[in-house]
Amino acid sequence: MVQSYEVFLGCAIPNRFNNYESSMRAVAKELDIKLIDFDGASCCGTVVLKSIDENSWLALSGRNIALAENRGHDILTPCNGCFGSLKDTDHVLHDDETYRKKINAALKGLGLEYTGKAKIRHLVEVLYELKDEIEAKILKPLNGLRIAFHPGCHLIRPSNVAGFDDPELPRKVDELLELTGAKCVPWGLKLSCCGSPLLITSEDIATNVLRDKMISARDASANCLVTNCPACHTQFDVQLIGMKDENGESLELPALFVTQILGLAMGIDQEPLGLELNRISLDPIADILGI
Amino acid sequence: MTEIWGQFKSFDGKKFEALDAEFTREVSSLLGGKDLTACFQCSKCSAGCPVSDKVNIQVHELMRMLLFGIKEVLETDMVWLCTTCYTCQERCPQGIDITDIIFGLKNMAFKKDISPPGYIAARKSLYDQGRLYEPTEWEREDLELGDVPELNVEDTRKMLDKTGLMKLKEGD
Ligand code: SF4
Ligand code: SF4
Repeated sequence: MVQSYEVFLGCAIPNRFNNYESSMRAVAKELDIKLIDFDGASCCGTVVLKSIDENSWLALSGRNIALAENRGHDILTPCNGCFGSLKDTDHVLHDDETYRKKINAALKGLGLEYTGKAKIRHLVEVLYELKDEIEAKILKPLNGLRIAFHPGCHLIRPSNVAGFDDPELPRKVDELLELTGAKCVPWGLKLSCCGSPLLITSEDIATNVLRDKMISARDASANCLVTNCPACHTQFDVQLIGMKDENGESLELPALFVTQILGLAMGIDQEPLGLELNRISLDPIADILGI
Repeated sequence: MTEIWGQFKSFDGKKFEALDAEFTREVSSLLGGKDLTACFQCSKCSAGCPVSDKVNIQVHELMRMLLFGIKEVLETDMVWLCTTCYTCQERCPQGIDITDIIFGLKNMAFKKDISPPGYIAARKSLYDQGRLYEPTEWEREDLELGDVPELNVEDTRKMLDKTGLMKLKEGD
């Protein structure tokens, strides 16, 4: 059955991870997921605007939800930040009449209204439901790949808002990745924040949070890191460049998006997977990936 | 450069003369603030917090300051160094929406001009462009991706004028 969604890209993907969008589109095409361009989308507001002014955040984010609702569509986003922001807004506007009235008053001037009909889904949620189809399409197993999978905070927490996976023992995306023959290693700081929201506040502390995490990934003998979020990926594929531990040893690890792993294993053409845009060299695992 | 945020660094030698019940009430009215008084100081929040070892004032201490109505809480580094990871909120045995309360404290601090400068720039881009970052066209062309759908910024500005985004502080 063909599913269709308005695809909410957010700001970070078109800015620095176009390979995530491109690999998502390639995988979605294989699986008959129809992605409709989200006309008129603004920033989701993300934790940045929620930190500045909650009313403005609810209005900006609520407008995006109302736009999709107005067109009778559900929303799909490949970004944890957008997912968290839109889900959280939906949660507040759904449960709290005072906020709903206030935000609808601001939306009225634009001819829009939030009533809560549009569903907000993360890309990996939709992919998880298509597990069997994906399994049947695996053509090039990635045996020997040891993935430290980073779910990211807003995909799973707060669980009463995200509603996706077990907040203390998430396994759904790991299950998807393991369909490719790869192993998702258990690692101590898997659930811990990557630190990316602190880049705006203190790059030093954001870096220290990341370093803690990378030491944990190394201790688990992972040979790559996989994410489903451009904000987290900024830490793992940009900020990580050149990072060393206290003995001067490199902590760099190849970082890929979930859709790049699935795409490779499904035998999709390498071009749209955009692997040449991954900043940290994929050479250490090139043989396993077959690139 | 001295930071303007996070200047409350220790309780040592500090005396708090009048505890401000009005402040506690104000915080209780924030999104998530209603269960604030249920905190029994078990410190589970701080135990799982990714920045506990990097801040001067930890999150369980922040929660106690709120209950006691100590306004200096807005000047602690915990407010702006909270990554918004929601681990504490997920795990609090008293079901307190800790992370959401901290968002409210950030709002209060921003109004008083106690915020990292990055947030001031972010507010301006969100108002002016409706986005935080612009698309990187050459990458999109290489990958044969279409244009990012257009946004009518007049619309988002009109709405943000209603919510008063650019007039939050006294000086705005
Ligand atoms: S976990 Fe909850 S009850 Fe325990 S100290 Fe933190 S806020 Fe208080
Ligand atoms: S949400 Fe903030 S205070 Fe709570 S655990 Fe995460 S970083 Fe610490």
